[in-house]
Amino acid sequence: MLIELKDVNKTYFGAQPLHVLKGINLGIERGEFVSIMGASGSGKSTLLNILGILDNYDSGEYKIDGKLIRDLSEAKAAEYRNKMIGFIFQSYNLIGFKTAVENVELPLFYQGISRHKRHTMAMEYLERLGLKDWAGHYPNEMSGGQKQRVAIARALVTKPDIILADEPTGALDSKTSVEIMDLLKDLNEKDKLTIIVVTHESGVANYTNKIIHIKDGVIGQIEENRAHDSVKFGSEGPLK
Amino acid sequence: MKFDIDRYKEIIDTLSRNRSRTFLTGFGIFWGIFMLLIMLGGGNGLKAILSQNFAGFTSDAVIVGTNRTTKPYGGFKRDRSWSLDQTDIEAIKALVPESGIVTMMDAEWGGSISYDENTYNGIIKGLSYEYAGVESPQLLFGRSLNEVDCEQERKVCVIGKRVWSNLFPNEEDPTGKYIKVKDSQFQVIGVDGRNSGININGSPDQSVVIPYNLMNKLYNKGGKFDILCMTAKEGADSEIMQEKVRGLLCRRHTIAPDDKNAIMMLDTKKIFTIVDNLFKGVNILVILVGLGTLLAGAIGVSNIMMVTVKERTTEIGIRRAIGATPKMILSQIITESIGLTLIAGMLGILFSVLILWGAGNIVSSMPDISSGISFQIGFWTGIAVLALLVVLGVLAGLAPALRAMNIKPVDAMREE
Repeated sequence: MLIELKDVNKTYFGAQPLHVLKGINLGIERGEFVSIMGASGSGKSTLLNILGILDNYDSGEYKIDGKLIRDLSEAKAAEYRNKMIGFIFQSYNLIGFKTAVENVELPLFYQGISRHKRHTMAMEYLERLGLKDWAGHYPNEMSGGQKQRVAIARALVTKPDIILADEPTGALDSKTSVEIMDLLKDLNEKDKLTIIVVTHESGVANYTNKIIHIKDGVIGQIEENRAHDSVKFGSEGPLK
Repeated sequence: MKFDIDRYKEIIDTLSRNRSRTFLTGFGIFWGIFMLLIMLGGGNGLKAILSQNFAGFTSDAVIVGTNRTTKPYGGFKRDRSWSLDQTDIEAIKALVPESGIVTMMDAEWGGSISYDENTYNGIIKGLSYEYAGVESPQLLFGRSLNEVDCEQERKVCVIGKRVWSNLFPNEEDPTGKYIKVKDSQFQVIGVDGRNSGININGSPDQSVVIPYNLMNKLYNKGGKFDILCMTAKEGADSEIMQEKVRGLLCRRHTIAPDDKNAIMMLDTKKIFTIVDNLFKGVNILVILVGLGTLLAGAIGVSNIMMVTVKERTTEIGIRRAIGATPKMILSQIITESIGLTLIAGMLGILFSVLILWGAGNIVSSMPDISSGISFQIGFWTGIAVLALLVVLGVLAGLAPALRAMNIKPVDAMREE
């Protein structure tokens, strides 16, 4: 079991305490391609933050590859994020004043890898994603799809255990969305990468092999989707 | 933390992304350093100009002069005038062990001095060769009086700079020439170029110096003279010497021991101390004002960095999400702050040094000021200022960096 959650609870203490996650139990195997689906307010973002070690939880257990992730120091959390998790965000989250290749190099920079080596590695991933010629361009010179592919390269470059994608197609048109989802599917099949996609779009979720529905802070139905038939394909196409 | 070219590239990237803001922020530091160094250098230059006035004068001379008595004593009424004479010198040398050089100075005011057609109305001073130990001449030509000149009462003279330029308008070497001083011919043996701010019995540049013994005879002085100049022996206490001399003179000339006004004593050391303290005060003021300006600049940097950190919340959040530790973020912000203060500060040092150099050159080329007046700050002052800059950079970056450090990656994503 690569990811193991046991009775994870999370409450936001504000003026009105908000019990967001109410005992989440979940297991994800290495090499799985799953999606977490839910409406806004269902707790899926909070779950993503916990899975990505971006946020703490109140009670329960969260293990990655047997390592208990709990009450980590900021430095330790940063190290785990850097080595074990690759993030793909809805808004790409590239650094605007850095070129594509510099953005991809950044996680390696924080690992302390030498300048030359990390440049070679970053170029290798950009080439795989078909962006070799765009390496020297700044994010604002690229299209949304290109930016998301740079972000994917940045997520892949550290060879993480888990890829966490938060609404990866949220800002893209349907044609590009298909490209990106195909790319993720490809990475899962060929490189046996564990990919978790958080989304509220059933079309996106349909690309994954397993759909985990979350509602009001609890896991609802877990749907095997090997056949990719959870959504009726209509005239509008597979997405949106 | 690793040493990486990218860290510096990163800083340059950030600073050059918003040029006008970087410029304005840096300007605060630049101006602070610039003002501090200009004021320090200006103080140095002023001091150099002022101490030029004391050039050649020993810092521990005691000048003794005579006044009318103000108290009746030993059967004499008050308001009696008295004179120093050569026996006083011998008595002081014999009875005051602290005394070093003890020598006389006498002057005849308004003597006409001429060479060829040129005439100058100057001061004729009678000195001993020993006087050079009190006030050393800066010879433009020739030599000063020596022991033999004084012993043999030779008719030789050392002329002041203004006397020389009036009598020898072509500014030629006058040594060996004979000039007429009052009614006698004197051979010029040297020219004293001094332009001192301390005048004892008349400015040296308007004087013709002849041996006192000769003057004594020529002008019927009867061994008397106006002023006695002396120094303390090395290591001896000048205050004790002055008390002993006063006591001795009182006894020898039947003056009331408590008649302070009858014997005038001027201790040059006291004057030097006053001037020194004045400049110390000026320096403290300059440093206070300069540091204040600098501090204001540093606070400006801190403020701008604060705004920058706020603006960069998302960027910092991304960095944290992909593996930057809080410490790395902290060091990045502080390095940026140090970078900004250092670059601005070094420009400040550069410009102030250039301007001080120019000021030194201009002042040195002015007439009446001898060349080599430097307004420049010392090397170690520069190093100290540089160290100060680094400290200020760290301090200015500290608050923004701590704020940046506390940015959670989740906050960053929530920003959008």
